[in-house]
Amino acid sequence: MIHAQKIEHTWRDANADVRCLTGLDLELEAGELCCLRGVSGSGKTTLLLALGGMLRPTSGRVILGEDDLYALSSGERARARARHVGFVFQMFHLIPYLTARENLLVARSELGRGERGARADELLASVGLTDRADHRPAALSAGERQRVALCRALFNRPSLVLADEPTGNLDPDSAGVVLDLLAEYAADGGTVLMATHSETPESRAGRTLWLRDGSLHPS
Amino acid sequence: MSLLSQIIAEAMHRWVHTLLLFGALACAALLPVAFHSSGGAAQRETTRLMRDLGYNLRILPKTADLSAYWAQGHADGTLPEAAVQRFSKADDLSYNHLLAVLAERVEFRGASVLLTGITAEVAPETKKKGSMIFEIEPGTIHLGYAAARGAVAGDEIELAEHSLTVAAVLSESGTIDDSRAWVHLSDAQKLLGMPGVVNEIQALECYCADVGVDNLARLRAELESIVPEGQVLRMDAMAETREKQRRMSEDYFAMLLPWVLAACAGVVALLTAINVRERRAEIGILRALGHGSGRIAGLFLGKAAFIGIDGALVGFAVGTWLAVTYGPEVFPETAGKIVIEWRLLGIAVVALPLFAAISALPPTLSAIFQDPADTLREEGP
Repeated sequence: MIHAQKIEHTWRDANADVRCLTGLDLELEAGELCCLRGVSGSGKTTLLLALGGMLRPTSGRVILGEDDLYALSSGERARARARHVGFVFQMFHLIPYLTARENLLVARSELGRGERGARADELLASVGLTDRADHRPAALSAGERQRVALCRALFNRPSLVLADEPTGNLDPDSAGVVLDLLAEYAADGGTVLMATHSETPESRAGRTLWLRDGSLHPS
Repeated sequence: MSLLSQIIAEAMHRWVHTLLLFGALACAALLPVAFHSSGGAAQRETTRLMRDLGYNLRILPKTADLSAYWAQGHADGTLPEAAVQRFSKADDLSYNHLLAVLAERVEFRGASVLLTGITAEVAPETKKKGSMIFEIEPGTIHLGYAAARGAVAGDEIELAEHSLTVAAVLSESGTIDDSRAWVHLSDAQKLLGMPGVVNEIQALECYCADVGVDNLARLRAELESIVPEGQVLRMDAMAETREKQRRMSEDYFAMLLPWVLAACAGVVALLTAINVRERRAEIGILRALGHGSGRIAGLFLGKAAFIGIDGALVGFAVGTWLAVTYGPEVFPETAGKIVIEWRLLGIAVVALPLFAAISALPPTLSAIFQDPADTLREEGP
């Protein structure tokens, strides 16, 4: 499904270079829910962004399906990202001036206008937010916001979901709902790589990888 | 979700920012519209005031001695009266308000007065305008302040053995006109025994907007082809005053406008830069959702252009209202010329969104080139 080869990345700073990924390899299969753990600053977010085509690594390749992501032009990579990758962030990153439903509709999609509306409604209904569809993020609880963010990530039925601390800002009940949704998505054949500090998500994961000193280690 | 829907939703959400942007763009439309609408009146007012300085050209017979002309107040020699009519048939001339004059010194009540016969003004077909001078009915006389010698309006007077009715005694002007006795040209020709001729054509020089052009040489060349038997004399001080005043009026608006527009462009750029900064996370997430640079650019340039259209409509309305309401107080002579210039609305609606988009371009480019990974890595508490 996704295959990362010899990924290296160095953050360049005016004062010093920080080498956070040191030639790691990773392969995830369809239907797999994988936890990515590591201390703060270990490079979890950097790896997720690199795998999602958002951050060109200093070296290495990311093969998503049949696409070598960083061999594509930026426009082609954006299209590939829209089709195949969904992102979920700790801070939700919902667009504040759009309603929950509009936050789903803003995703780039090849669906027709009517189909998009139906898809948004279907997703919101699946997470129990039909009655909150016209509410803006400021009017939603943290758990509701993350559910909306998850719906947005799943809008185009991506093959890969990259979740960066998706439960980091949620109470245990809300975190449980989000983890259930991700597990359900993986059970349906999707691939999930979830960066987390918490041990709770590990119980739902097929495997857990530790990011230490720029490379991955099984737990 | 369409780009326009997203722009409108964001504009309504950040309404203070939108209002400030709208204000800057409305000013960028309002001030030029107000300036242009009332500025046109200002220029017309200047033109009118300068015109009121009087005729600044004298077309005299070629044979006339200029020293004698200044000493006597009239030219020796004559031109055919029909010469003035030739101007009306010519096009693209630097002459206007042509007045045929026959002047000669005569005795009136023991003093020398300058009998001046005039008829209606002639103008080239394409430059017909209202007369600069009063009209005189045949059989009547208008006496200058010094020439009146005790005569009052309504008196019957004898002049060169002809009886004329005093139509008016003119107020003191402090010029040679105080010693004139104005009659209709036909009466002057009869009184002086000079039928069908004039000895001077007075005219007003058309404004030459071309800097560096020798207008006197142009006037002489034009005269040569129309009235070859004449010579043109220009009152340079008057001509220069007219030209300087008119140029000053034009330069004032030409100087002011770029500064106003530059200030508005600066405000639009600053507000867009603030908007870009506030929306860094949004830009990052839109990238993550697969949107390219076109969509990001569209959000900022589209917002500027969209508000630019609104600003153009409101700026035109307010600018026109200001010009129509307050312009007449400033320019009373040409108040009637301050009208709604619909042409400016079309220009504003097209130009202002473009102006807004160009002003918003530098911060928009910074949004496009912003690394989304930088934003998405910044996870706050």
